[in-house]
Amino acid sequence: MTTLTSFPSQPLSIPATTLCLIVCLLASPLGGQQPAASSDTLLQHAIALHQAGDLDGAIRAYREYLAAEPDSVQARSNLGAALARTGRYDEAIAEYDRALRKSPDNPALLLNLGLAYYKTGHHAEAAARFERAVSLSPQFKEQVTLLLAVCYNNLGRYKESVSLLASLEKDKAGDPGFDYIYGTALIGDGQDAAGTAVINRILSRGDSAEARLLRGTLELSAHDRDNARADLEKAIALNARLAGAHARLGELLLSQGESERARAAFAQELALDPGEFTSNLNMGVLAKEDQDYVEARRYFERALRARPNDPGIRYQLANVDLATGNPEQARQALEALLAESPDFAEAHATLATVYYRLHRSADGDRERAVSEKLMDRRDALQTGAKSR
Amino acid sequence: MRRWWAAAVLCLAGHALWVAAGGAQPEPRRPHFTDIAPKSTFAYRTDNNFTGRKYFPQTMCGGVAAFDFDNDGRMDLFFTNGAKLPELQKTDARFYNCLLRNRGDGTFEDVTARAGLLGKDLGFSFGVAAGDYDNDGYEDLFVCNAGRNTLYHNNGDGTFTDVTERSGIGTKPKDVLSVAAAWFDYDNDGLLDLIVSNYTVWTPQTDKICAVNGQEYYCHPKVYPSVAHRLYHNLGNGRFEDVTDSSGFGKELGKGMGVAIADFNGDGYMDVFVANDTVRNFLFINQKNGTFKEAGYEWGVAYDENGNAHSSMGADAKDYDNDGWPDLFYNNLKGQIWGLFRNIGGKYMNYASGMSRVSRLSAHSSGWSNGFIDYNNDGWKDLYSSNGDIDNMGQISRQPDTMFENVDGKEFRDVSAQLGPDFNHAGFQRGSAFVDLNNDGFMDLVVTSLDEKPRIMINSADNGNHWLLVNTIGRRSNRDGIGASLKLTTASGRTLYNHVTTSDGFMSSSDKRVHFGLGTEKAIESLEIRWPSGIVQNLKKVKADQILTVTEPER
Repeated sequence: MTTLTSFPSQPLSIPATTLCLIVCLLASPLGGQQPAASSDTLLQHAIALHQAGDLDGAIRAYREYLAAEPDSVQARSNLGAALARTGRYDEAIAEYDRALRKSPDNPALLLNLGLAYYKTGHHAEAAARFERAVSLSPQFKEQVTLLLAVCYNNLGRYKESVSLLASLEKDKAGDPGFDYIYGTALIGDGQDAAGTAVINRILSRGDSAEARLLRGTLELSAHDRDNARADLEKAIALNARLAGAHARLGELLLSQGESERARAAFAQELALDPGEFTSNLNMGVLAKEDQDYVEARRYFERALRARPNDPGIRYQLANVDLATGNPEQARQALEALLAESPDFAEAHATLATVYYRLHRSADGDRERAVSEKLMDRRDALQTGAKSR
Repeated sequence: MRRWWAAAVLCLAGHALWVAAGGAQPEPRRPHFTDIAPKSTFAYRTDNNFTGRKYFPQTMCGGVAAFDFDNDGRMDLFFTNGAKLPELQKTDARFYNCLLRNRGDGTFEDVTARAGLLGKDLGFSFGVAAGDYDNDGYEDLFVCNAGRNTLYHNNGDGTFTDVTERSGIGTKPKDVLSVAAAWFDYDNDGLLDLIVSNYTVWTPQTDKICAVNGQEYYCHPKVYPSVAHRLYHNLGNGRFEDVTDSSGFGKELGKGMGVAIADFNGDGYMDVFVANDTVRNFLFINQKNGTFKEAGYEWGVAYDENGNAHSSMGADAKDYDNDGWPDLFYNNLKGQIWGLFRNIGGKYMNYASGMSRVSRLSAHSSGWSNGFIDYNNDGWKDLYSSNGDIDNMGQISRQPDTMFENVDGKEFRDVSAQLGPDFNHAGFQRGSAFVDLNNDGFMDLVVTSLDEKPRIMINSADNGNHWLLVNTIGRRSNRDGIGASLKLTTASGRTLYNHVTTSDGFMSSSDKRVHFGLGTEKAIESLEIRWPSGIVQNLKKVKADQILTVTEPER
């Protein structure tokens, strides 16, 4: 029903070392970087409360201090950490951002901001902060590598994820978290044989929801739908909260024509993670097929938040523009999209229709020719047999 | 105690009445279908020679044509059949094509051999198109094959002659699979021309083997090349010229399946829609000078709303919302979305699968032949599809047909389950024809299924609705009147539209008589016929519930 590809968006089991990193960074105020203001008893009080675990008290104290000293990077950063610790990530992000304006090259701040974004499912923003933190302080690389790989997986940047993780395989192979993230990346990147090896490694330790999800994903991409269904259903039976499992099952059901059950599966995924890319994308496509364009746009915009600038989603939104009688808006969106993704054959095809609709026949003819050339080239590259 | 029981029943009855009064509208009485094929003796069963090895064309077998070959007023049936593979020959009787004469008593007589239509010398046959190409008053047949295509001339005495060679219609590139065809008069010269939908280049020797884990499946179409569809211009005197290249058809390469003929832009010239399998669909707009422009992009029907080319199968073009413009429908495979497109004033098409609910209704079915058919004579054309998976590997490969009932031209609902057990037979359904076999004004259905005898399903015609069947006879126009557009206005002012064509669905050819369901109305105020010649004929105060033969006036 949809041709846009997607893979497990988020692993359930972040490795123990990575979890530790999150806890430590979010829990620990930047005490070691305190200014020398020994008279600043209010800040000391706030830090003491923070370290004692009285987070609400610490937040109040930090805010009181910041009212008098709004430029204190340390206090604002600690406030962000305390807010994050209480799950108030949006507020934390705001405080980290303000602190970064004063200290833009502070790697610890960037890392904490990245973690807050990560926790709120803003993987593009998180990845950008992690990358910047590591470029400023390479010693952070080991701590953020897996998190960054998860972000890349969520953003569909599987090749970068593989590149990041390949060098760690020798040391990390066998670590459940690493294997899962690496397996996701390999399968997403189309490296089926290497992905299968990782799946087998996970299964050698016993059955697991993660391994079933990875194998089901692989089988789904190979059109081996019966086995894919068995594995994905087993994954959900083993762990109904496994991120990505319901979305993958939804994709399988859609390919089988079971659109109502697919809707239910995507809805279950979105109940776990409202920002999950694949489910938002497919719910948008289903709504579009129903010609419920308001609902379709809502889902596509949520998917676009998960993967900012995703060409497939932008294309879908342009299609909604065309379908709702806004060819001029569709034209602008498609032209902008094609400026960045000139090989997007379907977008050229739709732009051809848009131009014809706008009575720009010569432009339509040109786009049609480009589209057909690209599709022919793609067909020529599809060697070997595949089932429908 | 007894009184209490009675009171409780009354109370329940009252509740039920209240629910009925306050709830949804009562369901209309629906006709159902009964298979009468078992009453007749004939050997034909659709045989694609599946013996384990999966040859690519085996999925397409069992074309059907409904036509009155002997002009006795009763529609007869012709079925195409497969061939022994890899020999690609009809090596024995089980692969022969079949002509069944309608005896008029609910039974059919196998007259294939007498008619000369066994097709012993043909390869694997697919689609069939019926039309009177020489205007002699007898319907002829064109059969599409792997191997040479065949034009059979109806001799008018119950026999047919293979005139392929002398007609010039047999030309096509070597080893091209021709799967469907449609008769139409593209230049309005009074002679039926022919469009042939071609799929690919294939021989048993070049057949590819596709398998997963050692299990063979039917290959994806992408592994075979696309080819041009072919247009043959009728020169008269039984001669045809291949005008594929000069007409513009030769420029577009596709994997053709169903062909639908209609005047989409209302300019008086017939256009051609070809559904392509995994390749964008083609809409050839007649330029009125012997050439066509492929305008699938302009009309918005080349791809689905996501820019994807699906496995488009059968196609039909009729006016489902009675706005005077022929709309378009094609079906495809399970998990894809059947395409319903609404014609916007003859300028372009709008995707209508969603609002009409066709998208939701169709997602679980793999459709082949199809078409708009007003099965219940309520004046709204419903959507029929013959279904069954491509392959036999999945759990739900065998599928029942579907009938989506048209609700006021706005949306459809699936009423298949209410149409009787014969209609709901699960199989690998392929070809289908709509035909009034018993001339009762209700359309019957003939459906082929792989490795089965065909179902010849009679409409129970028991909902009391009225109808009109119009048999057009052209004089300046082609004798069949193919391409004539009809506008019927009832006494209440309701307007209904249809046009003459025999081609619909996939591999199939239907009753050429134009059918109108009239609902509860018994009176027809007027019937306007626009003939391909340009002549406009107006009939007033036409009686309902009759088969009306209309001959084209001289001017």
